Amino acid sequence: MNDKQEPYIALRGVQKAFRIGAETIPIFSGLDLSIARGDFVAVMGPSGSGKSTLLNMLGGLDSPDAGEIRIGRSHLEQMGEGARAAWRAHGMGIVFQFYNLLPMLNASENIELPLLLKPLGRKERRARVETVMDLVGLAGRQRQFPSSMSGGQQQRVGIARAIVGDPDLLLCDEPTGDLDRKSANDILEMLGFLNRELQKTIIMVTHDPEAAAFARRTLHLNKGEFVEQQGRGQ
Amino acid sequence: MTFFQLMRRNAWRKRLRATLLMFSVGVAFLIYALTASFLGGSQGAAGASDNLLGVFNKSGRGLPLPLAYLNRIAADADVAAVAYTARMRGFVEVEKNIVMTSAVDPRAIAAANGDELGLTPDLIAALEEGRDRVLVGKALAEAQGWSVGQRIGVTSQLMRADGSRDWRFVISGIFEGVNASTDTYFMLARYDTINEARARDKDTVDTFVVRPREGVSSGVLAARIDALFTNSAAQTRTQSEKQFLEGFLRQFADVGLIVGLVVGAAFVTILMITVNTMLFAVRERSFEIGVMKVLGFSQGRIMTLVLGETLFIFAAGGAAGLFLAKLATQLIGPEFGLVFSLSVLSKSLAIIAGLGLLTGLLPAWNAMRLPIVNAFRSR
Repeated sequence: MNDKQEPYIALRGVQKAFRIGAETIPIFSGLDLSIARGDFVAVMGPSGSGKSTLLNMLGGLDSPDAGEIRIGRSHLEQMGEGARAAWRAHGMGIVFQFYNLLPMLNASENIELPLLLKPLGRKERRARVETVMDLVGLAGRQRQFPSSMSGGQQQRVGIARAIVGDPDLLLCDEPTGDLDRKSANDILEMLGFLNRELQKTIIMVTHDPEAAAFARRTLHLNKGEFVEQQGRGQ
Repeated sequence: MTFFQLMRRNAWRKRLRATLLMFSVGVAFLIYALTASFLGGSQGAAGASDNLLGVFNKSGRGLPLPLAYLNRIAADADVAAVAYTARMRGFVEVEKNIVMTSAVDPRAIAAANGDELGLTPDLIAALEEGRDRVLVGKALAEAQGWSVGQRIGVTSQLMRADGSRDWRFVISGIFEGVNASTDTYFMLARYDTINEARARDKDTVDTFVVRPREGVSSGVLAARIDALFTNSAAQTRTQSEKQFLEGFLRQFADVGLIVGLVVGAAFVTILMITVNTMLFAVRERSFEIGVMKVLGFSQGRIMTLVLGETLFIFAAGGAAGLFLAKLATQLIGPEFGLVFSLSVLSKSLAIIAGLGLLTGLLPAWNAMRLPIVNAFRSR
């Protein structure tokens, strides 16, 4: 990252604590982070280190108690619920560990779901769905329902759903945590491809060092602070 | 896929549950539409006019009034037309097959009540063709399987001068009424024939039918007519046709109140069942609602989605109930006083929309307010 260039993602002095009854458990007390556009960052750390909380705040699913979270030109900490929903619809895609596909929709309908929020005609929506299904290797499985797909196939649908709106940012929460090694590697190769060829900025939370090796760099989160390591696989 | 299809898929995801809910809603609207059709159609009360006045004997509706009152009523400047009827209750073939015959002067009844009954000049001319001619209402003709030109016999409580109770008529025409809710389950015979042949109560009538001039308050005219006969042997009570028919029905029971209570109970039950079921349905889907919010579905869209689901269930169930009610009213026929009018349909549609939204409100509100992080913990 060029220091003079403004980072694509900037966290400044982010504070977050959870209250359980009368007890307050601090997670971050002044977290700073900069990520350049087009980067592929893996975030690792022990359980309870704040990885998921970080991802939730980056996705606008949760708000910081204090501090600034800027992605592109959007200041998430200043947005209300409605504005954050609109930002999620257009600015980012998210890939979950357990895919989180809607069971009553088939593969192409699951992928099309975020496009219902965009001013697109039915034809264009269908064309975009076809394109991303080809891209993730799911051509011909449009009508298949999640219940009849393997974990790897479901995760491909999850990735296709995350990128169908062509967002700049992809947030991945343990995307290979529920997959066997081969399927996991396929998914990681695909994320690498999206990063290299389509210049998607990717932030991936993982416990798996082999998965982290696919990223350009790895950040270790410990007690609410980052320790950076160089990625190995790219 | 469209937003509507997404909503429909959600509603249909548990088919048995959705079907049972639609069935309950359908039954409620079947009950509502049938009772509303009965209220609207019973004895033609819905089709009855507020502007048409009936003059009856104040001592009892079954008691006669002298025909001589006709000229005094007609002399009022605010009366546009006046007719008179003598009602004859009887049966055809078997005693339970009851038919009512109104003995009228053809031209007078055409002038006073012809528009509502659908009495065309041709029908009036046909009634005048012979003394034994009658015009039969469409509902009665259909129920009895009668047609024009047919000879019919009616056994009446009204005795003839020769001691017989059998009256013979020839059907010269069928009148249809101005709309479906007009009572046409009776026939019109000629007053001169009936009056001449009957053994007693000659030159009396049961009712004078008065049409006020345009712009005249029917209430004021009614009071003035009654005032004309205050000091007469037979005092009068003048009411609008609608008041008369509603009062007539109330002699048996307050049908409106009973119907209101039955329908109200059905709707409240359905409301509670649907709200409860939808609350469960939304709770079951908390996680998926969270996923949709992550994908960018706003609170408004989530609310619309859940409201749309309940509306869909009410629309499908309600449409089925209304269809069955329409079918039932057509099969049973208007002689039972069931008329599925446009007013019943539009009220039903308004209730479908209202209850659909009302039942969806609480579940939709819960879904809308559900924080994403909490939704994800629900898995």
